[in-house]
Amino acid sequence: MNKIFAIISGLILTAFSGTVLGQDLDALLNAETKPKVDFATATFKSTRIINGHSVEQMKKNQLDFRISHRFGTLNNGPYGLFGLDQSVIHFSLEYGLKDWLMLGAGRGSLNKTYDGFAKIRLLRQSSGEKFMPVHLSYFTSVELKTINFPVRPAGTSNYFSSRLAYVNQLLIARKFNQNLSVQLTPTFIHRNLVKTELDLNDIYALGIGSRYKLSKRLSVNAEYYYTYNPNSKSLEPRPYNALSVGVDIETGGHVFQIMLTNSQGMREGSFIPQTTGNWLDGDIHLGFNISRVFAFNKK
Amino acid sequence: MKKNLFLLFLLVTSFAAIGQGKFIAKNAYISFFSSTPMEDILGESNEAVNILNAETGEIAFQALMTTFHFKRALMEEHFNENYMESSKFPKAKFNGKIEGFNNSMLSGPVNDIKVTGILLVHGVEKTITISAKLGLEDGKLVGLSKFKVTPEDYGIKIPSLVRDKIGKEMEITVKANYLPFGN
Repeated sequence: MNKIFAIISGLILTAFSGTVLGQDLDALLNAETKPKVDFATATFKSTRIINGHSVEQMKKNQLDFRISHRFGTLNNGPYGLFGLDQSVIHFSLEYGLKDWLMLGAGRGSLNKTYDGFAKIRLLRQSSGEKFMPVHLSYFTSVELKTINFPVRPAGTSNYFSSRLAYVNQLLIARKFNQNLSVQLTPTFIHRNLVKTELDLNDIYALGIGSRYKLSKRLSVNAEYYYTYNPNSKSLEPRPYNALSVGVDIETGGHVFQIMLTNSQGMREGSFIPQTTGNWLDGDIHLGFNISRVFAFNKK
Repeated sequence: MKKNLFLLFLLVTSFAAIGQGKFIAKNAYISFFSSTPMEDILGESNEAVNILNAETGEIAFQALMTTFHFKRALMEEHFNENYMESSKFPKAKFNGKIEGFNNSMLSGPVNDIKVTGILLVHGVEKTITISAKLGLEDGKLVGLSKFKVTPEDYGIKIPSLVRDKIGKEMEITVKANYLPFGN
């Protein structure tokens, strides 16, 4: 009995001391490493998918200086160098006031429009400790057209408020894997003044955008905005849904976005309700966005 | 019977030895720094975990790549997305042993030591020997180390376009303040 006891004790002892000596420090480390919430980052390379906003925003104290061009239509042919003879420009400064709040202001040459916007992050896609299937942000902007009013019939007058349009969007995006991200963008736009009685003051639209990464620094993007407009066929010029395809090229602090699109406008108030180009007629604009980010962190 | 008691005693003491003889640094600091005329890059983490086995001189480090922070948000994004591929290789690890280890290294003043072990970065393991300092500072056990690594050694490709902005070698700094494990 004693012998058996001794042997068992001995066995346990050797087994145990064996585990103590050879104990895997890794296992201890794993136990000590705090579980983390893994946020999906870099869902898109830029704060724009192509024309419209993505769920990405400037982090706190980061300033983005953007310059965008859209040239004329490709169907200008060689006489107009496929649209390169004309271009509209938009430039803006966009700043991350908080990690969740981005503010921006810009001006576009189309209709001489100034705009100011805010993008607010509400939810972040995450896994690990906390599961959240999608990113959700709210985007709102005001656009001010400063182009001269057309001559009006005598006895009617123009108001400052007639120059304004308001944009509201929910940005719902999911990064499915390292390469594929998809975003849905329900949109509501209100324009104080429209051209004709047939034009709608309130515009409802749904955007869908996606990017697919071909390599670490190159992705292809596509974006489509379906605009609900029952009068579209009777309007002149007739509005079309905005469709754009492009590539993102990243080089250190810059992101270049080069695209083909049927809209010349670069802000929601213009490209969603007022895209007049038709892809099938070759009304396709070549364009680019350039983004340069500056950091203003103190450290 | 006496023998049995002795064995029992050994058994009990060996149980008591679990968790003893080890030191842990839960919020160890790790940074990497590269300097070129074009740009300085500094990434810092205060969330590395480090365990030191006081009986064998074994050391184990672990850091999640996403705990490294940078002055520029874009650097952090590129670090995780383009270079470290943090979603594929979430952790950096080091498992090593202090050369010529004896217990007095832990109870004396800070002294130079050498540690040899395997560094795992970006899914690539390399055996390295690094110089470090270990010992008591104000009655507390501290460890310090500075060493250099070459990103290419760990399969981290740096495109020619940004080659001028990123140093050929990264200087790694490690600081750990140890506490007895289990406390």
